Amino acid sequence: MLERSAPRDPARPPPGVIAGVGASALGVAQEVGGIVLLTADVARALVPPRIDSRELWKSLYKMGYRSVPIVVLTALFAGGLMTVQAGPFVKKFGATALAGWAAGYAVLRELGPILIALMFSGRVGANNTAELSTMTVTEQLDGLRALAIDPIRFLVVPRVLAMMTMLVALTVIGDLVALTGAAIVGHVMLDIEWSTMYHGFVDNLRPFDFLHGIYKAIAFGAAIAVSSCYFGITVRGGAVGVGRAVNAAVVAAAASIMLLDFFLTYLTG
Amino acid sequence: MTAPPPAAADAPAAATSTAAAPPSTAFIEYRAVSKAFAGQPVLRDLSLSISRGEILFIVGTSGVGKSVAIKLLIGLYRIDAGEIWFDGQRVDQLPERALAPLRKRIGMVFQSATLFDSMTLAENVALPLRKHRRLAWSAALDDARRRLAQVHMTEHADRYPAELSDGMRKRAAIARTLALDPEVVLFDEPTTGLDPVSARRIDRLIRELASRLGVTAVVVSHDPPSIFGTADRIALLYQGAIRALATPDALRASPDPIVQQFITGQSTGPMETPGF
Repeated sequence: MLERSAPRDPARPPPGVIAGVGASALGVAQEVGGIVLLTADVARALVPPRIDSRELWKSLYKMGYRSVPIVVLTALFAGGLMTVQAGPFVKKFGATALAGWAAGYAVLRELGPILIALMFSGRVGANNTAELSTMTVTEQLDGLRALAIDPIRFLVVPRVLAMMTMLVALTVIGDLVALTGAAIVGHVMLDIEWSTMYHGFVDNLRPFDFLHGIYKAIAFGAAIAVSSCYFGITVRGGAVGVGRAVNAAVVAAAASIMLLDFFLTYLTG
Repeated sequence: MTAPPPAAADAPAAATSTAAAPPSTAFIEYRAVSKAFAGQPVLRDLSLSISRGEILFIVGTSGVGKSVAIKLLIGLYRIDAGEIWFDGQRVDQLPERALAPLRKRIGMVFQSATLFDSMTLAENVALPLRKHRRLAWSAALDDARRRLAQVHMTEHADRYPAELSDGMRKRAAIARTLALDPEVVLFDEPTTGLDPVSARRIDRLIRELASRLGVTAVVVSHDPPSIFGTADRIALLYQGAIRALATPDALRASPDPIVQQFITGQSTGPMETPGF
């Protein structure tokens, strides 16, 4: 099993600046290394792919289906916001035909995947870390091991697969809802015809704009899943440790999303 | 007699240095086992042999390493030095993946029950049946209900662990551990927190497992009626090693002042208790 070093003793005097920076760098390196090792464990557990179907379906339902309302709400307003922001310029230059393209381009390539991933991380990733870390501190993971059941294969793999699958599905749903929101706001607040918005989407957006967001959703889903599981199964220190693990998982997921977004955009843009 | 397996990649380095030692003839044997946590030694050169079908109680003050000792047997912790043998096979060197067959033969009932919160009692007991016996879910659930009946928990089969008392959870955990019909069961304080009647029922269950099914039981306990009423032999763990290993009657008659202080529970005496 993966193990993490114990948190710093608060009774000890704080280290100097250089020592502190060094200690932080080592801490980050250790966490990144642990996440990479867990990723390798998950990949190894998929060969051959003996996935616990009950756990997988349970995770798909809990993580995906129950996230739909919050994703729909977020995407609807995010799409509308794009049109509101673009509205003054569209009116100023009389470029209503481009309003759909502007909103769609931003939503499909950036706003949709990132906003939904952040929302997913806060709702599903944090919940996953809390659940796994509670199982860890109450010895439920040791209980699994004692029953000759591999916790990685039984608990982590279905969750990783479910999170990756469901973030892609939620991104597709979110994209559609956000475009709908953009069209509604464009029509209601800026008097842009439905057909104009529609042609703005269809004539100017390419399939790659949509796929670009899907690639990102796959990468974001993997990052959220593995980091949330890693911090969950390596927790130490009872209830305090659970809180710290959830915090670390959310921060790690947000940082991963931003880093991955930059590099994926740079490499594929 | 199974030959010791080759040293695995994730086996502790200290353990591989003594791989040439002769195979054990005992059913379970600890040979000079040491274990430390964060530099603090817990077990020091612990040596202990357990026979097949025996009920051995490991007793001692809190924090002396009783639970650690039994967890080492199934690889939940790794030893720092020494050897552990089970049925002629050295098991302390086995990598995590190779421990699965061992863990099917040696079940463990944890002190905190460790039932899975998200599953009902029946689902908890059905889980190892479904995973290892390849039973269909409905068949596994039927079997689980039968096994819950053995610990008088039938009427609670569809309830979640959080809805039950500690004693009920512990009984369900015993049913789950016994689901795979293990040859050895490790009990970590099975009667702690139970009312006297439930505690004696657990004792009777341990006795029945040994007498009817030949199950070997290694029990960590602080409960004197359970210890002296159930054990074939008792091992007193003190300062990381076995201080005394005897039948209940022989232990009672021991002239060792440490043993006597533990048995009588006197607060003053030669016994050193860390933290007190």
